[in-house]
Amino acid sequence: MDVRLRHKENIIAFAVEPAGDGKFSATFGDRRVDVAFERISEHQIRLSVDGRQTLAFVAETPEGKSVMVDGRTFLLADERAAGTRPRARSTDGPKAVTPPMPAVVTQILVTEGGAVEKGQGLLVVSAMKMDTLLTAPFAGVVRRINVAEGQKVAPGQVLVDIDPPAADGVAAPAADAAANDQGDR
Amino acid sequence: MFKKILIANRGEIAVRIMRTCREMGIAAVAVHSEADRHAPHALSADEAVPIGPAEPSQSYLNMDRIIAAVRQTGADAVHPGYGFLAENADFAERCEREGIVFIGPPARVIRQLGDKITARRIMHKGGVPIIPGMLEAADDPAAWAAAAAQTGFPLLIKASAGGGGKGMRIVERPADLAEACRAASREAAAAFGSGTIYLEKFLPRSRHVEIQILADGRGHTVHLLERECSIQRRHQKIIEETPSSALYPVLRAAMGQAAVAAARAAGYVNAGTVEFILDPEGRFYFLEVNTRLQVEHPITEMITGLDLVRRQIEIAAGRPLSLTQEEVCGRGHAIECRIYAEDPERDFMPSPGRIAYLREPAGPGVRNDCGVCAGFEVPVEYDPILSKLVVHAESRDLAIRRMIRALQSYVVLGVRTPIDFLLDVLASAPFRSGKTYTDFIATHMAEWAPDGQALELAALAHAADAMAPKARPAGRVAAETRPGPWHTLKHWRL
Repeated sequence: MDVRLRHKENIIAFAVEPAGDGKFSATFGDRRVDVAFERISEHQIRLSVDGRQTLAFVAETPEGKSVMVDGRTFLLADERAAGTRPRARSTDGPKAVTPPMPAVVTQILVTEGGAVEKGQGLLVVSAMKMDTLLTAPFAGVVRRINVAEGQKVAPGQVLVDIDPPAADGVAAPAADAAANDQGDR
Repeated sequence: MFKKILIANRGEIAVRIMRTCREMGIAAVAVHSEADRHAPHALSADEAVPIGPAEPSQSYLNMDRIIAAVRQTGADAVHPGYGFLAENADFAERCEREGIVFIGPPARVIRQLGDKITARRIMHKGGVPIIPGMLEAADDPAAWAAAAAQTGFPLLIKASAGGGGKGMRIVERPADLAEACRAASREAAAAFGSGTIYLEKFLPRSRHVEIQILADGRGHTVHLLERECSIQRRHQKIIEETPSSALYPVLRAAMGQAAVAAARAAGYVNAGTVEFILDPEGRFYFLEVNTRLQVEHPITEMITGLDLVRRQIEIAAGRPLSLTQEEVCGRGHAIECRIYAEDPERDFMPSPGRIAYLREPAGPGVRNDCGVCAGFEVPVEYDPILSKLVVHAESRDLAIRRMIRALQSYVVLGVRTPIDFLLDVLASAPFRSGKTYTDFIATHMAEWAPDGQALELAALAHAADAMAPKARPAGRVAAETRPGPWHTLKHWRL
C-alpha cells in the first residue's frame, strides 16, 4: 500500500506492508523500518520503530491531521484523499482578500465602487489583540464589501470583492470564481 | 480577612488566583463573557457571573458590569489579575469610592506610574537612575532637537501613556527625528488616546531585568530578587528566568535597593515590579513600574517559595508584611515559557481555534499555569496566552534540561503554539551560555524553521492511526444505557 502524505509543500511517500498483529513495515526509497503500533486512546498511538518506543498524539483539525511526536507537531494531509482538503487557498489565496487567521473586522477603510491601488489598505482585522491590515492584491474597483465591522471572519472567506481594471478583464472571471468557491465553504 | 474575592479576569491568571483563594479559605467569584462560558476559570470558581458579550469593552473591561457582579455576589474585594482593568486607575478609584477593596496599589499610585514621564520624574527625584532623556513631555520639533542633542543618537521615542511597543520608535539620524516624533505621536494618540511622547537614549544590546517588590500599607518594603525577561518577540516577553545570568551579588543588591527606593518614592503598596534596562557594562536604568501582578510572577514564587497572590491578598486586607529582606532568599533556578496560541512559522501570528487535544507536562519541578482545556474554543477576542510552563531546578543548566523535557511532553493539538520554537531557543548555544539580550530572536532565530527530523516518525504515526481501529462512538452510547459496574455492584469494601 502506497502512502502519500503532504506536509506543507513536501510530499512524504512510502510503502506500507501490513505484517498483521499490530505491525507493519514501511519502505522509504530503499530504506525499510519495522513498526509496531497500538492505539491507546482516540488521540494516543504507541509506536515502536525499529525497537524504539514513542508515544504519538493525533487529532483531526480543520487544517488536516495534527500529529505530535517528540515535542514536534506536524500537520499532515493524506494525498490519496485529495479533494477532502481544500487546496485552493495556496494558489488562489494571494488574489483574494481573506484574513490570515480567524479574526474580527475592526475597521473598513474603503467603500463600494471606490477605486483602489495595489497594496492599498482595505480593512483591518483583529485577532487576539493583534491588528492586521488587509491590502488590495491588485488595482481595481471595489465591487462588494461582504462584511461589516464587528463581524467574525475566517481564512478563506472573501471579505472584499475587487474588479480588476477592464484591461485585465480576462483574468477577472477566474479570480471571482475561485473567490466564490472559497466563500461558500 | 476577606470572605469572598471576585476575580475580574479570565484564563490562566484567574485560575491561578482562585487556587490561592481556595487555600486561604476565601470563596472565589469568576466573571465570564459569553465566549468563556465553558472556560476553565469560569468552571473552577465557587460562583460564576456572566457579564456580557465576548467583546472586551462589553465584558472584562466593563466596570459597571464588574461592580454589579461584586454587588450581586457580595464579594468584599476584587483581584484584577494582569491586563484588562489591572492598571486602570479609574477602576481602582471606583472600587475605593464604593467600599470595595482593590487588590493592588492605590489609584493615585497607578495613575502616576502609568504616565511614564511622571514616573521618570518621581524616580529621578527619588534617586533612582533613569535612562538619559527628557523629563518633560514636548510637542515641538525645537524641544525634540534640543533633547536629542543631549542624549545623542540612536535614541528612542516613547509614548508617555504607552505599552506593548505602540508609539515606540528608534531614531538613528537627526534628519529623521521630527517626522518620527510626529508619527509616534499619531500612533500613540490612536492607541492610547494621548499623543504625548518623550525621548530617551537608546541602549542597544541591553537586557531587560526586573525586580519584584512587595510593600505593605505601613511603609515596609522588600524586594524578591530579579527576573530576566530579555527574550521577546514584538516587545512581548516569551521566556523569563531567575536568577539572571548577568547579575552578581553586588549588582543584584544595588538593583534590589534601587527597586525598593523606587517603590518608596512612589508611595507604593502591594506587589509590583520595577523594570530596569541593564547595559553590557552593568549600568542599570529605571524603565517603568508595573503596578500589578506580573505574568511571569511564578518564577519568583519558585525560587523564593513565596505565594505572591497570598501576599497581595494579605496586604490588601491591611495586614503587615511579615517578611524581612534578610528572609528573602532564592534557591535554584526557574524558567518560564509562555505558551501562546500563535504560529512561530508565520511571524507569531495569532492562531485561535478549538483545542482538539491537550496533555499537560508533569514531573518534579514542573508547574503549568493553564487556562484552557481540551474542547475549549480559544476566542479571537483576547490575549493569545494559553498557559505558562514553569520549571524549577538546582541550577540553570538543569532548569534548561527540565524545560526541554517538559516542552517535549506538552501536547497541544488544534491551535498552533510556539513549543517547537521554544525547544530550539532553549537548546541553542547562545541561550545555554546566557547570552540573552533583547535582540535575541532577531539575532539568533530570524532564520528559524521547524525541525523536520521527526517528520518521518510523524508520518509513520499518521499511517498507524489510519490502520488502528478507533473505538466506535456507538460503544459509548451503549455503555451509558446498559447498567455499568456502579449499578450492579452491591456491597464492596476497599
